[in-house]
Amino acid sequence: MLSAPAAPHDRPIDQSALLADLRARVARLEDSGREATVGRALVPLCEGLPVAGLARGGLHELLATSPGAGAGFAAVLLGLAGGAVLWIAGGAAKTVPWPPGLARCGLPPEQLILLRADRPEDALWAMEESLRCPAVGGALLALDIKQEAMLTLTATRRLQLAAEAGGGIGLLLRPESAARLSHSVALTRWQVAPNGGVRGDPRWRLALLRARGAKPGGPWCLRWNIAEARLMLESGGMEEQDR
Amino acid sequence: MTRRILALHLPFLPTDRLKRVMPDLPDGAPLATWCSAGSRRRLTAVDAVAAGLGLTPGQALADAQAILPELLLHHEDQAADGALLLDLALWARRYSPLTATDASNGLLLDITGCDHLFGGEAAMLADVLARLRRAGIAARGAVASAAATAAALARCGADSPVIAAGDEAAEVGCLPIEAALRCADAQLARLGLRRVGELLALPRASLARRFGKALLDRLDEVAGLRPRPLQPIQPPPDLAVAADLAEPIITRTAIDNILNGLLVDLCRSLRAAGQGVRRLDLLAWRVDGMVQRVTIGTSKPSRTPAHLALLFRDRLQGLEPGLGFERMALEVPVADLMPDGVQRALAIGARQDGGDSLAELIDRLAQRVSVRRLAPTASHWPERMVKRNGLHAAMPPMPPRWGGQRAPALLLRQAESVAVQSDTPEGAPTSLQWRGITHSVLRADGPRRVEPEWWRGNAARRDYWCITIAGGEGLWLYREGPPQAPRWHLQGYLL
Repeated sequence: MLSAPAAPHDRPIDQSALLADLRARVARLEDSGREATVGRALVPLCEGLPVAGLARGGLHELLATSPGAGAGFAAVLLGLAGGAVLWIAGGAAKTVPWPPGLARCGLPPEQLILLRADRPEDALWAMEESLRCPAVGGALLALDIKQEAMLTLTATRRLQLAAEAGGGIGLLLRPESAARLSHSVALTRWQVAPNGGVRGDPRWRLALLRARGAKPGGPWCLRWNIAEARLMLESGGMEEQDR
Repeated sequence: MTRRILALHLPFLPTDRLKRVMPDLPDGAPLATWCSAGSRRRLTAVDAVAAGLGLTPGQALADAQAILPELLLHHEDQAADGALLLDLALWARRYSPLTATDASNGLLLDITGCDHLFGGEAAMLADVLARLRRAGIAARGAVASAAATAAALARCGADSPVIAAGDEAAEVGCLPIEAALRCADAQLARLGLRRVGELLALPRASLARRFGKALLDRLDEVAGLRPRPLQPIQPPPDLAVAADLAEPIITRTAIDNILNGLLVDLCRSLRAAGQGVRRLDLLAWRVDGMVQRVTIGTSKPSRTPAHLALLFRDRLQGLEPGLGFERMALEVPVADLMPDGVQRALAIGARQDGGDSLAELIDRLAQRVSVRRLAPTASHWPERMVKRNGLHAAMPPMPPRWGGQRAPALLLRQAESVAVQSDTPEGAPTSLQWRGITHSVLRADGPRRVEPEWWRGNAARRDYWCITIAGGEGLWLYREGPPQAPRWHLQGYLL
């Protein structure tokens, strides 16, 4: 159902407010017929970033420059999303997610369900089924570098539609080298790099490469505060950590 | 209630199997299988034509070829014969849930209370034999109140194969000892004892003294004095529903329709019993006497036909109808209590709504990919910090400081060997060679010593290092030894 166009006199004069209003109306047009709650809620990140959070009911890409940093940051997002979390790995992957490390990033083991698919088709199917389920808070797909080619535009479109149907957050954890130039319909694309968080709280350097309705930017230095269980923006760089 | 046992004797099973797998064998030509025992070659099985021409199993191969130069010979394959017999025992479950194999060429069916479904014992026996004949397997059968009696009658080819309870001793009296008791004791023949009845007439004490207790036991079993229980090839299911089809079905649509009907019936019975399935077998009887099986499992009791049908959907690809299925059945080997009307909520994580849809999702996923949950355990050895948890079982709480301060997010499935240079023998690494590339180490944290758990075998102690290489990547290394020479391994990726 379309809302009636706003009368000229109550249209805001401020240009940014006008843009926001237009965006909201376009979003309403795109969402027409769908329930209003789906796709609205956000997984909160932290203040100071151009986006307030990651939209639920959407697909988001994490391009990791190192596997450990990507997995850690994905765990933070999934922990913030809450609910049952499915971690889907391709069968050829040499690594397995390790619950003690993920728990440090705010993803407790009781939330986590680990899946392993031998064939990439099965992994995509499992991801789609998981995202379609309303009881799932978040699902992550980490394919092996050789199976990355399966994440075509069509495949990501299917995942995005499944996420919209289910309302959970979908994450694609991809190696940066393989995925930098690929196309996808994910709502946002982030680059995650390690930032010397070996001691103390985990830290990352995060850059927003692409987002629907926001300007790319970064990098920002983020810290996961274990004690308070929240993400914090740091002003310092990695230099002070390392030297 | 006395039990009723139907025994089948398949005298030409090995050659019947050959004719089934090799349809181009010439019809009517004598066929035999052979094996070599040491330097001698003997026949192990002959078909009906060869038997009619005077060949017997156990005969020397050279003799047989001299008698019948046109004899077709194949090497024996005991494993395949055994597999066929087991398949036939599975097939025979269409008559009774309790079936067993008997020696290498016999079947036993406990048909207590089943015969009326087929119009009486004689009609049932005729139906079994007719179906076997159509599948190309020669068989003889008998029905009695004890398994050994029925088997003896089937083996000896009795004239009146259905024996009323209580008549066993009289009926087996005229059977030859060697075939009925399956013992080849030359002593018995020398004494002029040829029929079972002659043995039964002798005083038991002297018989036992002379031939041992085994012969007496065997005699009692065959005479029905001491029936022995059947050992079925698989325990009877808790619950089963079956559909006999008027015409064999081949297409997927027809199979789906039958399956859906069966599932509705089964779920109605489950609801009446207050149970839900944990494992479910779909059995499909093919026209040629083979039984195919598809098994699904659920992570918690379920009796929703739509959900179970969804679990079967992908697995049905494995069925091979061949010339068609003539009977399909659902059997429940494992069921759990599931109180009526109460759907137990499942709580993985915080969101508790839609718990059943999560359970159903996990069931669906588990049919195609491996699904597991890992629970924390109180151990400091990294490989043992987690163990598998039941998919819906409660998880133990996290031990304090679980995984330590610097646990990696990803662990390598197999620790990789790396070459490490350091300034001092036990000092911090300064550079490492990993997958053919030399990386300089920006920072190294450690060592953290982990002693092996002495109660679990003798692994070497490890010194763990957290290092940062150029580019910022964090690696989790350990140095193994002593007592062995020190070796470095990469075990995980840090955050």
